[in-house]
Amino acid sequence: MLKTIFSFETKRWFTQPSFYIYFAVFFLIGFLVMASALGYFDAFSVTTTSNTYYNSPLAVNSLINGFSQLLNFIIPTIIGATVYRDYKYNVHSVLYSYPFSKRDYLAGKFLSGLLIAVIISLGIGLAFILASVLPFANQDLMGPFRWWAFVQSYVLFVIPNIFFIGAIIFLLVTLTRNVYIGFIFILILLILQIIIGTLTENMDDKFIAALIEPYGEQALNYVSKYWSIEEQNVNDIPLDNAILLNRAIWVSVGILALVIAYATFSFSQSPLSLLRKKSGERVVKENFQSVFRIKLPVVTYDFSHSQNLKTAFSLSRIEFRSIVKNWIFISIVAVLFLFVIITGYTLGEEILGTKTYPVTWKVLSGISGQFVFFGQILVFLFAGVLIQQAATHRMDLLVNSTPIPNWALLFSKFMALLGMCGVLMLTAIIAGILVQAYYGYYQFEVGVYVKELLGFRMINFLVLIVLALFVQSFFRNYMLGFIVLIVVIMIPLGLNRIGVLPVFHFNSAPGVSYSDMNGFGSFRGHLIWKFYWIFFCSILYALTLLFWRRGILSGVKDRLQTAVSRLHWPVVAPMLIGLAAFVGLGYALYREIAVVQPFYTEQEQEKRLIQYEKQYKKYAGTPQPRISDVRVEMHIFPKERNYQATAYLTLVNKTGQPIDSLILDYGKNLRSVLFDVPSRSVLDDTSMRFRIYRLQSPLLPGDSLQATIRVENPRNTWLADESPVLENGTFINNFSLFPAFGYGESSEIQDNDIRKKYGLKDRERMADPTNREARQNNYISNNGDWINFEATVSTSEDQIAIAPGYLQKEWVENGRKYYHYKMDKPILNFYAFNSARYDVKREKYKDVNLEIYYQKGHEYNLDRMITSLKHSLDYFTENFSPYQHRQVRIVEFPRTAGSFAQSFPNTIPYSEGVGFIAWVDEDKPNAVDYPYSITAHELAHQWWAHQVIGANVKGATLMSESLSEYSSLRVLEQRYGKFQMRKFLKDALDKYLLGRAAEWKSENPLMYNENQQYIHYNKGSLVLYAMSDYLGEKYFNDILKGYIQEVAFQEPPYTTSLEFVEHIRRATPDSLQYLIHDMFETITLYNNKIDKVTSTELPGGKYQVDIEFKVAKYRTDQKGKRVYEDSPGKTLSEGSGKKDVKSLPLADYVEVGVFGEKSKKGNYEYDNEIYLKRYKINKITNKISVIVNEKPAEVGVDPYNKLIDTDSNDNRRGI
Amino acid sequence: MQLTIQNLSKTYKNGVKALDHVSLEIGAGMFGLLGPNGAGKSTLMRTVATLQKPDSGDIAFGDINVLKDQLSLRKVLGYLPQEFGVYPNFSAEDLLDYFARLKGVSLKTDRKKLIQEVLEITNLWEVRKKSVSGYSGGMKQRFGIAQVLLNNPKLIIVDEPTAGLDPAERHRFLNVLREIGANHTVIFSTHIVDDVRELCHEIGILNGGKILFRGTPAEGEAALKGKIWMRIIEREDTEDFMKNFKVLSSNYNPDNTLNIRVYSEEQPNETFVPATPNLEDVYFVALKNDTI
Repeated sequence: MLKTIFSFETKRWFTQPSFYIYFAVFFLIGFLVMASALGYFDAFSVTTTSNTYYNSPLAVNSLINGFSQLLNFIIPTIIGATVYRDYKYNVHSVLYSYPFSKRDYLAGKFLSGLLIAVIISLGIGLAFILASVLPFANQDLMGPFRWWAFVQSYVLFVIPNIFFIGAIIFLLVTLTRNVYIGFIFILILLILQIIIGTLTENMDDKFIAALIEPYGEQALNYVSKYWSIEEQNVNDIPLDNAILLNRAIWVSVGILALVIAYATFSFSQSPLSLLRKKSGERVVKENFQSVFRIKLPVVTYDFSHSQNLKTAFSLSRIEFRSIVKNWIFISIVAVLFLFVIITGYTLGEEILGTKTYPVTWKVLSGISGQFVFFGQILVFLFAGVLIQQAATHRMDLLVNSTPIPNWALLFSKFMALLGMCGVLMLTAIIAGILVQAYYGYYQFEVGVYVKELLGFRMINFLVLIVLALFVQSFFRNYMLGFIVLIVVIMIPLGLNRIGVLPVFHFNSAPGVSYSDMNGFGSFRGHLIWKFYWIFFCSILYALTLLFWRRGILSGVKDRLQTAVSRLHWPVVAPMLIGLAAFVGLGYALYREIAVVQPFYTEQEQEKRLIQYEKQYKKYAGTPQPRISDVRVEMHIFPKERNYQATAYLTLVNKTGQPIDSLILDYGKNLRSVLFDVPSRSVLDDTSMRFRIYRLQSPLLPGDSLQATIRVENPRNTWLADESPVLENGTFINNFSLFPAFGYGESSEIQDNDIRKKYGLKDRERMADPTNREARQNNYISNNGDWINFEATVSTSEDQIAIAPGYLQKEWVENGRKYYHYKMDKPILNFYAFNSARYDVKREKYKDVNLEIYYQKGHEYNLDRMITSLKHSLDYFTENFSPYQHRQVRIVEFPRTAGSFAQSFPNTIPYSEGVGFIAWVDEDKPNAVDYPYSITAHELAHQWWAHQVIGANVKGATLMSESLSEYSSLRVLEQRYGKFQMRKFLKDALDKYLLGRAAEWKSENPLMYNENQQYIHYNKGSLVLYAMSDYLGEKYFNDILKGYIQEVAFQEPPYTTSLEFVEHIRRATPDSLQYLIHDMFETITLYNNKIDKVTSTELPGGKYQVDIEFKVAKYRTDQKGKRVYEDSPGKTLSEGSGKKDVKSLPLADYVEVGVFGEKSKKGNYEYDNEIYLKRYKINKITNKISVIVNEKPAEVGVDPYNKLIDTDSNDNRRGI
Repeated sequence: MQLTIQNLSKTYKNGVKALDHVSLEIGAGMFGLLGPNGAGKSTLMRTVATLQKPDSGDIAFGDINVLKDQLSLRKVLGYLPQEFGVYPNFSAEDLLDYFARLKGVSLKTDRKKLIQEVLEITNLWEVRKKSVSGYSGGMKQRFGIAQVLLNNPKLIIVDEPTAGLDPAERHRFLNVLREIGANHTVIFSTHIVDDVRELCHEIGILNGGKILFRGTPAEGEAALKGKIWMRIIEREDTEDFMKNFKVLSSNYNPDNTLNIRVYSEEQPNETFVPATPNLEDVYFVALKNDTI
């Protein structure tokens, strides 16, 4: 019987068009995505390149599983609805009297649904396979084809996921006879994933997260997230415990669901109801009186337009009610609420474990994305539900024969959906305010909530609602309509890639972003774009009306004829107006973005870079004079968002030969260039903005000339601002303002695959440290060395304008505020201008003026920053060298410009997004006081960049970023002790390992890093901290001191990492020389692990702790391929077979620590270190025995994560 | 007002000719459309009710061109389809209010009066607060009539409304229809001859998309006068009689004999006795003539 039911069900599916549509949709999307990843569309788009293979098991799996998420949405209709369908079509009353067993019935139904879902999912895999074997694929992007990758992905993830999700949905739908419930489950599963992600974000060991996350993604991530490029390309999906356990758990959940379904199902006519049945009532008919008169009361019938409109509104209220009473809506809102509460709980912990204050934009950025995402899903779904509502309840014939016009029906649905979105957004507002109140934060900016959620977001919803109604009106099956909508909404992503103008990307708009300083900024462009799409929607709306399904249509022809017959002026006229407005505005937009100024597709931009290099590379070596003096007059017009600036430059010929031409690499803002010597322009490429002046008489060595360069932003258009000036919070640096002298090497394409394609030679991102020529420039500026600087900055009267230097004079002229700043010492050619309505905090410390220019309301951490400045000044002056300036200024800028701080000479622009709104809990052991540490880091740059500046070669940032990071760590440690160190270092380790896993070119050793953030910040801080720990803090700082003395403020050739490391090498004892090789010169990673630990109590309250642990290390090449042999070819090896452990030969010093019961302070627990000693290790497995005075609770090998270790979680183990 | 149907044809995609050049003129009063299942009744009704397009033909109701000006017809139309559902969790009162709005009753007080009246007519007043989706079949049909009445329709189309009703319900239902039929044009389709006999002063018999008979029941019966014969036969002889005579109907008697009625211009043989033609005979004769 099972077989009969199974094959009947399965065959039924094969006759359904929806099966083929689903299959085709998944196949097509899969194919397009894979094709795009494999460079099929390189003819139209930028060249696709990648370090990782798109067909490696990991990549294949991640893509297939990504799409399977979409597949989940159709599982309710495929697996869930199998039993439900029998009820829906009333077959059950007949069917259940047939002689088959419950088991056969349920199993047959479930298995056929499962099979169909799996077949549809195979569409994705097949599409990938097809895309990768067709000849259009770029073979460089692929490794060898491996069947196994697909098999693994399906067997381990896709099929088990369909199984357990299908089983649960099967259970839910079978019991409740409501397909909605299945759909709700899918949505809840989606939110659940996000919630698990948020909750476990700050967990040290994500093993638990790996187990409970239903799709197994976290489990795989748990195992593979630190895989190097090589490992990502080569490794199969590992059958790791985390993955197997996760799969076992969730498959069991699925089986359990099936067992419950079996146990509770009975061939009865009524569904399971959670509500108690009302006690039955005996019903007797009383309808025997039967002859009477009908005299209907006289009432007025009103068929006017205004009445129809009123009716439409009242209908929309009814439909709105039906939505908000719908379980999908209720559960989603409820779960979103839950989500807000949970994410609110960890709000802003993303920066080193420290929270931020729940300022409104922060709360909004945490929640609005989810609300908007689920809002979209609800719009797509309910548009279909509403359109089909009458038909679903078989009331359509009644409704459609009434005199209500189609437009009133459509309008009511439109309004109901709009109302639904409004409710959703209001919920978001309430949820956001509740989160703020929960934290005792009562500065509710209701206006910001309303503008963002009920303003900008609602406009977006409006567009989507019209689209959804349009699409759904063509589908009887709204799940199909839903899937189609999801696909439609993804199309612009693809269009963007192939360089189609945004005028043709549905619903495209620049977007708005909010900052406390500048509000929503200038958003007229966004609104204009949105209006453009609203006009488009008016056409869609009219089409929806024309094609409105009323009555019984007998096919496409009938539908078309009906639509044509409805073409009357009341529909056509607005449609034509909408069309005219759409086309008109569209043309205006097109003109603005593509005619008035050239529009370059991504591919054209790529080609321009190539062309630039091919055309002008020949000038790369042409000697240029260097900037020695800079005077800038900068005028900022915040209201108009314009600037005008003039730079008066002194250029000196520092070369040994005469210079006869000046090369200018300029921007769109250049207005005029004047030299005080006769010259003429001999080449001006206005497209590439590359100009060459010939000097009438060459500039002789040592001679100088004056240049006056005037710049001004291009006019702001009706559509967009062309200048970086903001109404409040302008921040512009010299590189974006003024032209550069000489050929701009930095704009060359660095990807060798692209270079090869265009016939260019390979290049590295930076020159080798031994390159004499490259050492003539520091890595900040190619145009100058140490310059004299002064600037006059003007702004509107209510703002303060800032530039590096000491304020000489400030005055008001013509209603504008002027500031004159001047530096008393030469600085790097690196300066910026800021202007905003600032409040100022001032303090004087040991003859240094400390100032913070901040946004009113952001007072939270000013004292903390000042304290950090003081502590840092003390530490740096004592350990490194004197501070070269008499002031430090921290200047806040809007988060829309980025979340970072940047150190200019004695001036530190500092984003409102970091530090200012941090909510520091000084006692929390797993949280870093980052306003303190960032301030220290930026101030450290006054030494490590503004005193010591590396040459523009590999490794330069070791002496700026790494050393600044090291300096701030030491200041932080001095204030907070070791507990903040561990969090900081663990975070650095995590970011380093993640960074190398995402490296697009090659991972370099620290001292050869090419401005790679995960290396110079994260690995750099680990390495320098460890090095100073091995050598002793004071001793190490003395090395730094010596180095500063030697190279501070030096003229070219600039110092390099080779020199710096040499300083360390000279001072390092022989036994520790290996550290320099491991940490600076190569990529070396440890794999340290506690194997076993026992503790025995000794008489006298002492304890003997026996620890067995492993130490192993290996090096990797630039792609992460592991090497266990040292250069003489020796390797350590232990164990055999699967348990084989290999290592480079060891003579390493590794810390082993013992910790007692955690000490407590308030609610927090701290490490209680009772023993810590460095051991010399020369074999993999080591046993030591130590005696401690306190009851031990935990032991660790390298317990503070000072060494780079791919799995730092197994370094400690409890007793 | 007069409903005029001219040359209406409709062929479905699967090849079924649901309407085949149907022409009908229907005046005020009750018009019964009689036909077996699948005769094309519902298609005709839906087409008149503006819910479906014919392939060809014209329909006019008074001066309303039904196929062109659907909205005007809908204003005066009351349509009760053969089968319908309702939104769940809506009481009769609320749902009628919903339909009253759709039908253009703009004033709240008007709607209240009207709803009360139609609820009382259909004897649903007691259960007006109950959810319609929980109504029994008969109550639901009465609700259907209640909503039909809301716009005081000039043209009422009811499609097989009595199927599945118990006798009392059926009676009550037919009485209500009869009341309405006094001043309006009511088209009433059924496959139950009794419904029509009790109610309609004019009938049409439809089968295979064609009108086979059009007239009053009396006319139909008169035309058969002297041509209907009956007798009692044994069960075993049935096949012979079926073969040799135009048997219109055969009914079992409790003793396992059968009463048969036969159509014949003359007395078939002496064993037959003349019978008074009834509407059922008219119906079966029409169907038989068509198939032969």
